[in-house]
Amino acid sequence: MNEEALLARASEERERIFQRYERGRENLAGQIDPWEDPEFEEYHKTDRYGFIHDERLPQKTAPQKVNIEVEREKKWVKMLGSWDSTATKEKLHRRIYKGIPNSLRIKVWCKLLDVNRMKSENPGKYQEMLKLAKHWSTDVRQIDSDVNRQFREHQFYRERYSEKQCSLFNVLCAYSMYNSEVGYCQGMSGLAGVLLMYMDEEDAFWALAILLSDKKYVMHGLYVEGFPKLTRFLEHHDKILTKFMPKLKHHFDKFGLDAILYSLKWFFVCFVERVPFSLCLRVWDIYLLDGERVITAMAYTILKLHKKAIMKLNDMDLIVNYIQVKLHKDFGYEDDVVIYHLERSMDELKRAKLDYPGPPPPNELPKRSLGTFIEPDKKSKIGQRAENFSETEKQTRATVILRREKAALELQELRVSQSDTVSEHSGVAGSGARCDDSVSGLGSRRSLAETSVTSTADLSVFSSSRSHAPDNSLDTHSNVSDDATGSDGSGICALSIQRAPSTTHSTPRATPHPPSISPLSDDVVRIHVTYNPLAASPSHLHPVSPSKYKAYSEDHHKPMSLGFYTSNGANNLPSDNRIRIQVPSEELLTPVVDSGRIITQRYIESHSELYDLK
Amino acid sequence: MATNRSGAAQRPNGAPQTKVCQFKLVLLGESAVGKSSLVLRFVKGQFHEYQESTIGAAFLTQTVCLDDITVKFEIWDTAGQERYHSLAPMYYRGAQAAIVVYDITNQDTFGRAKNWVKELQRQASPSIVIALAGNKSDLAAKRMVEFEEAQAYADENGLLFMETSAKTAMNVNDIFLAIANKLPKSESGGGGGGGGAGAGARRLNDGDAPRASSCCK
Ligand SMILES: Nc1nc2c(ncn2[C@@H]2O[C@H](COP(=O)(O)OP(=O)(O)OP(=O)(O)O)[C@@H](O)[C@H]2O)c(=O)[nH]1
Ligand SMILES: [Mg+2]
Repeated sequence: MNEEALLARASEERERIFQRYERGRENLAGQIDPWEDPEFEEYHKTDRYGFIHDERLPQKTAPQKVNIEVEREKKWVKMLGSWDSTATKEKLHRRIYKGIPNSLRIKVWCKLLDVNRMKSENPGKYQEMLKLAKHWSTDVRQIDSDVNRQFREHQFYRERYSEKQCSLFNVLCAYSMYNSEVGYCQGMSGLAGVLLMYMDEEDAFWALAILLSDKKYVMHGLYVEGFPKLTRFLEHHDKILTKFMPKLKHHFDKFGLDAILYSLKWFFVCFVERVPFSLCLRVWDIYLLDGERVITAMAYTILKLHKKAIMKLNDMDLIVNYIQVKLHKDFGYEDDVVIYHLERSMDELKRAKLDYPGPPPPNELPKRSLGTFIEPDKKSKIGQRAENFSETEKQTRATVILRREKAALELQELRVSQSDTVSEHSGVAGSGARCDDSVSGLGSRRSLAETSVTSTADLSVFSSSRSHAPDNSLDTHSNVSDDATGSDGSGICALSIQRAPSTTHSTPRATPHPPSISPLSDDVVRIHVTYNPLAASPSHLHPVSPSKYKAYSEDHHKPMSLGFYTSNGANNLPSDNRIRIQVPSEELLTPVVDSGRIITQRYIESHSELYDLK
Repeated sequence: MATNRSGAAQRPNGAPQTKVCQFKLVLLGESAVGKSSLVLRFVKGQFHEYQESTIGAAFLTQTVCLDDITVKFEIWDTAGQERYHSLAPMYYRGAQAAIVVYDITNQDTFGRAKNWVKELQRQASPSIVIALAGNKSDLAAKRMVEFEEAQAYADENGLLFMETSAKTAMNVNDIFLAIANKLPKSESGGGGGGGGAGAGARRLNDGDAPRASSCCK
């Protein structure tokens, strides 16, 4: 198909979609496919925020609570009457942390965001943008498919082409013209969707505009190409974890769980669909008052409150599910309790000077002036996929990959020092160990900068204990990495650390794998730890019978690294040449081996105590 | 609780040991073609008309049993919007299998699927098993991509191909099982390797019933 035909088809599609929203539900009788609408059954119940639930709602709000809310409303009405007074300013913080009465939320949110000012400064702008969108927006298809999936269990959005669905569509389309750098990005439908539960169309549009560009929130940087603000906030989040919850951080790293996987929606949509809606609103109240710091602190608070439970989950799948799904359904703490902890977290982070990752660098701010029309280029009109990444995107990707590999490397170092300790002192291992000084256990603290790309890639493969196929760390595929990750089949399984030749100290991510390193060159350090489960497991670790190991250990008596955890890291070794292994929880991790590779980890029930291995 | 997490360890004592293979699988394709829906159907046996749109990526696992082997899929369900494209390599690097999804009622999504295939061929691991899924086959009345067209393309490029429906469950388990069958189970030849691996001929479960995982429970 030639370019013109493609352009024509794209614009025809845009018009068709627009038309349906313009006509709305009433005028589309008979034209809405039955599968586009949910069934609505009588026994469904709608909660006070408008969400429809499959079952009866658990309980009525207690009468005392209703009274409290009524009392609060009175106070709030008074306060709204004298918004700019000093008395209000003094009370605002405390009252907002207590929660804005739902019936007044719309008014208070508009005040906090100063929606009216924006609106009156830009008369007619919204309609203008909407009109432009109808002719030019290249995001219409994406917006349409997201409107179709956003808050469909909410009474406002339940019916296809309902009034609010149409408003949501309009706001997003208009915004895609207003801010041509961001256009529309998946996630924004969640923001606008919440705003529209409380505001009318135009107010919601301006509220969205403020959230993206006002310096208190600057969500622009989250949604713009390359997601620079996301990267920056995730790094900051990692820093907080490392400082305040290193064990949890290590737990995540152990399963290769990068923060981007569980926390994306926290940052992108301020916890929408990640915590129960009532709590989400409370966080929004505070976010609108205090800005970005709230997101950082809430992310920390969630993990702090659920650390114990998460530490018990030994599978990436389970952890992600817990954080994303379980906490959305049932947070396990009363909203008030969470907000109490949130406030404390904010103080705590502030004291540690970690409450704020700093003001946005220029790439997180709008460069073009907002609200000025810029005709989209042909490519985006047709909707072609870009063949290549832009510089910004490449950077983002490199940063994220670097972060993951750094985590993997740190974890690996920990394991090196531990399994190395085992081999030195216990004689459990040692069959093919060629230990080089730099990995000699305890003091092994090589920084990432000293490590070649190859080694970090290898380590990340190994540490996640799952990759069979070679892993390429960059677009360019390199055969070297095949060899290095052990596809020679010889069961190099314990470790394969490649030391960078000391001359290549350059930037770690800039180049593909250096082609010259052979897996058996002198630059390679390999530690083989023979895996002998029977020797390794203290005898009272039943009920796992020896026969269970047979299939693995007989044919595949391959070197294997042991996931032992010492109680205080490797530094507090007793001097009597015995290794004490403290099993941290009730579980001792034992890898299952297939052809010399770890393919899964199995858990043996045991008690938390010290074992002496001879 | 602690003992019940990993596939192979669950056999009662005395039962024949099953080898467990773990594979990383990534779903790619244009937004709203039904990637998340396919995963949800495969992993939980459910279909949500209003599946929330994926932001970033989602991660799930599912275990299937072939007769002598247990295959654990680690599934990365990516976001379809072009802007998230830059994150995709993070997810497909190191993947042993990919399902590239398009929507049979939308020609453009097929074009994009081809782009994904190209990108995988160029940049993913050379041994990656790629399957092409023409989803929403229940909406045949609105079909815009012909079965034969897609089949021909798949043959040319050595892809597994099926038309699927996350809604009716048609071919959903099948496509995952076909991939499981085609994946090399062991590179070193120590285990089941060689013969059964490449052919992809062994079909152990047929039919559409969502029972892929039941044998492991
Ligand atoms: N009729 C029909 N609808 C489907 C099918 N699969 C998915 N859908 C619908 O198509 C829409 C999009 O499905 P998703 O699974 O969210 O699509 P996705 O590919 O994950 O989209 P992104 O997350 O945006 O990349 C949803 O409304 C689904 O209900 C199918 O087999 N048949
Ligand atoms: Mg999805």
